[in-house]
Amino acid sequence: MTIKLTEVWKTFGEGHTAVDALRDIDLDGPQGEFSVILGPSGSGKTTLLNLVGAIDDATRGDIEVAGVNLAALSVDEQVRYRRENVGFVFQFFNLIPTLTAAENVELVADLTSDNGADRAASVLEQVGLVDRMHHFPAELSGGEQQRVAIARALVKQPPILLCDEPTGELDFETGRMILDLLRRVSRESDQTVLLVTHNAAIGAMSDRVLRLRSGEIVEDTRNADPIDASALTW
Amino acid sequence: MVKPLQHKLWRDVRRHRAQFIAITLTMFLGVTIFGATYDSFQNLTASYETTATEYRFASLTVAGGDVEAFAQAAAIEPGVESAELRTSTDIPFRVDGTKLLGRAIGLPADDQPAVNQVEVLTGTYLDPAFPDGVLVEQHMADHFSLRPGSTMDVFDGTVWRTTTVVGTIASPEYIWTARDRQNIITTPDNFGVIFAAEQTVRELAATGPNEVVSYYAAGIENEELTASLSATARSLGATNVYTRAEQASNAALEEDLAGFEEMAIFFPIMFLLAAGMAAYVMISRLVHAQRPHIGVLLANGFTRRQVLRHYLGYGFIPGLIGSIPGAIAGVLLARLITRMYTELLAIPVTIVQFYPATLLGAVAFGLMASLLAALAPALVASRVLPAAAMRGESPSGGGRRSMLERMLPPVRKLPAAWKMALRGVWRNPRRTVYTVIGVVLSLMLVLVSWGMIDSIRHLMDRQFVQIQQEDATVYFTEPAAAADVADLVKVDGVARAEPSLTLPTSLEANGNHYDTALLVLADGSQLHRLDSIDDGWIDLPSAGVVLGKATRDLLAIEIGDPITLAVGGTAFVEPVAAFVDEPLGTMAYMARSRAESLSGVELPATSALIAYDEGVDPAELRNTITELPQVAAFEDANAIYDVMQRYMVLFYAFVGIMLTFGGAMAFALIFNAMSVNIAERTREVATLLAVGTDRRAISRYITAENIMVAAIGIPIGLIVGHYSAATALASFSSDLFSFDLFIEPTTYLWATLAILAVALISQIPGLRAIRRISIPQIVKERSA
Repeated sequence: MTIKLTEVWKTFGEGHTAVDALRDIDLDGPQGEFSVILGPSGSGKTTLLNLVGAIDDATRGDIEVAGVNLAALSVDEQVRYRRENVGFVFQFFNLIPTLTAAENVELVADLTSDNGADRAASVLEQVGLVDRMHHFPAELSGGEQQRVAIARALVKQPPILLCDEPTGELDFETGRMILDLLRRVSRESDQTVLLVTHNAAIGAMSDRVLRLRSGEIVEDTRNADPIDASALTW
Repeated sequence: MVKPLQHKLWRDVRRHRAQFIAITLTMFLGVTIFGATYDSFQNLTASYETTATEYRFASLTVAGGDVEAFAQAAAIEPGVESAELRTSTDIPFRVDGTKLLGRAIGLPADDQPAVNQVEVLTGTYLDPAFPDGVLVEQHMADHFSLRPGSTMDVFDGTVWRTTTVVGTIASPEYIWTARDRQNIITTPDNFGVIFAAEQTVRELAATGPNEVVSYYAAGIENEELTASLSATARSLGATNVYTRAEQASNAALEEDLAGFEEMAIFFPIMFLLAAGMAAYVMISRLVHAQRPHIGVLLANGFTRRQVLRHYLGYGFIPGLIGSIPGAIAGVLLARLITRMYTELLAIPVTIVQFYPATLLGAVAFGLMASLLAALAPALVASRVLPAAAMRGESPSGGGRRSMLERMLPPVRKLPAAWKMALRGVWRNPRRTVYTVIGVVLSLMLVLVSWGMIDSIRHLMDRQFVQIQQEDATVYFTEPAAAADVADLVKVDGVARAEPSLTLPTSLEANGNHYDTALLVLADGSQLHRLDSIDDGWIDLPSAGVVLGKATRDLLAIEIGDPITLAVGGTAFVEPVAAFVDEPLGTMAYMARSRAESLSGVELPATSALIAYDEGVDPAELRNTITELPQVAAFEDANAIYDVMQRYMVLFYAFVGIMLTFGGAMAFALIFNAMSVNIAERTREVATLLAVGTDRRAISRYITAENIMVAAIGIPIGLIVGHYSAATALASFSSDLFSFDLFIEPTTYLWATLAILAVALISQIPGLRAIRRISIPQIVKERSA
């Protein structure tokens, strides 16, 4: 699923308090590409991700995903778009504490099909958590929680995976394992991945690196020979 | 408090204004009810006491026996300020063609009596030069529009005598126009009171004085003196001895006062408890959300005491804002209630006072409730570990399977979303418990007030439909023979007539006395049914006496025990055959054949119980019967029933107010719990929205969770409400009224639906807040 942003602006606030979080962004993201968006705090990385995920609206410009203009979607259509096309992985996992790992995944699986429990088990197996699937989030380590979050994002087999600082809360080893997992499962599913991070080293494992500064793309480089996530170091 | 912290406090209050308003409003209602009911209670108590003192309301009344000897004995008894002889007689009245049962009471012709004075409302006091002049008690005067100069007839046992109204009066004895303790409820059509010159009343009664009214020094109650005087009176053959507290009108009013006093405690406690819990839930959430800020404050040198004070402020503000206006509103409302009440009952003296202690007490109660609610979360705030708090780490509750899932395995197969709702119920057990308590309190409020309506309806049905089968009681001008009673059946429209003889009686057993009336009914009476507390509906036994159930405790007797009945100077002993459960009054019953066998003579009838034919016009029949010469008065049983039905309107208003208050209280609690519930899980809601769950589905899950919490509270609330209503009613039960709790099954259903409706409505603001959730902002936060 291709992603195309044309002259996209995002402004927060009005009048003299207005701040441009994104300025005149043009971007093409072909299907199956694993892109890393780098930049310092406040550069607009997460805002860009939110616009593609349709959890926020652009102030100006067009965002097309698989030919669909997101700006034209109603609230209900945005919900359907997210349900069918987007998987989110957040920095702070955002798991429901009263549901087990399996149930957190099943909750999202149920949105798109009936056999949610079976699919949840299958995806948890894919992320290596089958033996911990009946544990509650509070009983899991940070890495395990993030793997549950990835399983939750993957279970509805979305064509787009949006990851916002997925390793931000994890130690080095766990972070590298999570990146490896993301890279592997996205390749297997031919998913388009946008991964936001402030860690420049992660760019080496991606197909493409976008650098943002003050809301503008200042660098857009393709990586012809991405390294294996297990080889990353920072 | 440090100034910036004050700013923070006020800004936080503004930010969460809806929740703070809910707490403040509940606090306001609680304090207002306290002030209004407690001051009304104090005002009415003062009004009654002042009325009693100003009008020298008798401390002890003795009727029957050698009253002249008793008056002499009482007059020299230390502590008795005045003891006065008088005549009181129950005779028929006729006003504008309406015959009714009346009571004429003698007064000194030239001046107010020393005891039981009257307040002349219109016209003048009696004039010795005008012996046929009468003073009419205000309720009767109002009903028949009697004014000075009007005339009315009184029956002297032989002929109807025309009297002229010289004035209308209010009497401390008839603020509530009860005929006696067994006949608390009367209608102006059936019973009225006049006061006339003592000599005139003696002529009407054709007797000498038959009562002594005594007034103790300064009007103060004196139990020892009462015991001594009562013993003297009994030894002189008195048939009825009662204190001021036992006097029928006063006893009925005291019952009402007791109700005010109970309300002044019961309802405010409920509201303050609810407000306290709402405040606790709210402030706990604030402390939880502000842990990083608290960490920063402590890390920067704020003392734990300063933090404690700061968070106590969150309780202090709604407490103060709710309590002060609440206390003022309560005091003002009490004035209004007192005036309305004393006007409605026409109490001669209205005392409306300012009681600073109530005002201060109301504010203190309100503040105490809110500060206590804030104390626990404020202590938690003061004990926060700064380093952990600033890292954003907060103790997060781990998930666990719900009890329902553990007990019912099929529940485990539910979709994850519904399990989320199910487990959410016990996610924060303390908050759930408080919300459940809120539901329980609300149901208590509803059932206590609604239960009262159902019970009174049931009471009326029992008394006027199941027990009293007669349509009317006809009183004869003079004791009638059985043939006179039989003549009544010949009247077109009368289906049945039974003789009835009412005799003032003093019951005595185990050294205890109870003054009541002995009703001698026809053997196998079909018009007055007896509901035995042991055997259900029974026939009047051929031997023994049947007593109202209150006598069981009052006289410490059981079935089969001998009991002495003193009737008109004659005493006889008879075993107790049964105790009956009758809502109104506590009477004694005996079969006519047994009474005749004991007395050795054929007994007359003072009245007849009659039943109408189907489809007869009661008004027409009343006219026909009252025109009969032997008929002195006609008491329509349905008229009393109708009067009681009219009083029910007041109860409906009362229940309406209580339902509104109960709804407001439930709303405040559930609304706050709901708001906190949503605030606490904004990140989850935002995440669910981000992954593609629509808002309606999320609303459904949250609604389900809240309804489940309410559902936990409902059965508990129904049980607690039932027993609270029973306790409240039991406190009103006496020998005057026997209140047994009866709540219609539909009442439980409606109360349940009302609480569920409030639970649903109170979520609306919270659910609307979901629409305003900023998904990008929330999903990015460390702790939302």
